[in-house]
Amino acid sequence: MKFLAVCSTGLGSSFITQLNVEKALRELGVQGIETDHSDLGSVSQGDADVIVVGRDIAEAASGLGDVIVLDSLIDMKEITQKVSSALERHGITVPEKEQKQ
Amino acid sequence: MLNQFFTNGTMLYSRSVTGWEEAVDLVTQPLLSRETIRPQYVDAIKKSISSPGGTYIDLGYGIALAHARPEMGVVKTSLAVLHVSQPFLLADSPEHRITTLFCLAAESNERHLELMKELASLLSDARWRQQLESVSNEEELRCVFTGEEDNS
Repeated sequence: MKFLAVCSTGLGSSFITQLNVEKALRELGVQGIETDHSDLGSVSQGDADVIVVGRDIAEAASGLGDVIVLDSLIDMKEITQKVSSALERHGITVPEKEQKQ
Repeated sequence: MLNQFFTNGTMLYSRSVTGWEEAVDLVTQPLLSRETIRPQYVDAIKKSISSPGGTYIDLGYGIALAHARPEMGVVKTSLAVLHVSQPFLLADSPEHRITTLFCLAAESNERHLELMKELASLLSDARWRQQLESVSNEEELRCVFTGEEDNS
């Protein structure tokens, strides 16, 4: 399974988002999940199981499949919660879910 | 790692600015004078912010990370930050009130990995953000980034 963080330039906001998704995955005790970041222009549907974006490009990313929209890219509580739900949507067990929610 | 980037003169404090464009001018100044970016990089950032969806650099909690692509005029990977007490509106949008504006200049997509790791970890720390919010001069801002006690 793969999470792909996306922003317009693909090197600032999306990179920070990817690093925070990785942190959330560690906190949730989930292993073996792939993460990456990219720019909006080079992503197409099917590149990842879950696309993670900030609210400002939510509309532009809406055709990319399962999209997580974040209000803040640095709010670990929000990120962890939304990553956890996405994992469950994709049938992945989240070991540390109880402590985090 | 961050200390290497945040040297004297790259951490700026201003009580207020006239708007987001002045904030961009201020935060890019140290990088221009060190010649780690070319003037066109400043224009690229402004153009990016004012384009549709350009406020995506707002990370939340009043913190924004201004940047453009490496080929838009980055000479050397570098970083600067401006903190203001009075929020300004990014792209004049009331939904994007900003008090801390970083300017990131990255030479390539990969070279700034360590820098971004440290920055992401600081910015995602709620207690650290609280310290940042209370900063009211350059010395305090420096202490927030270096982790030193403020002796002034």
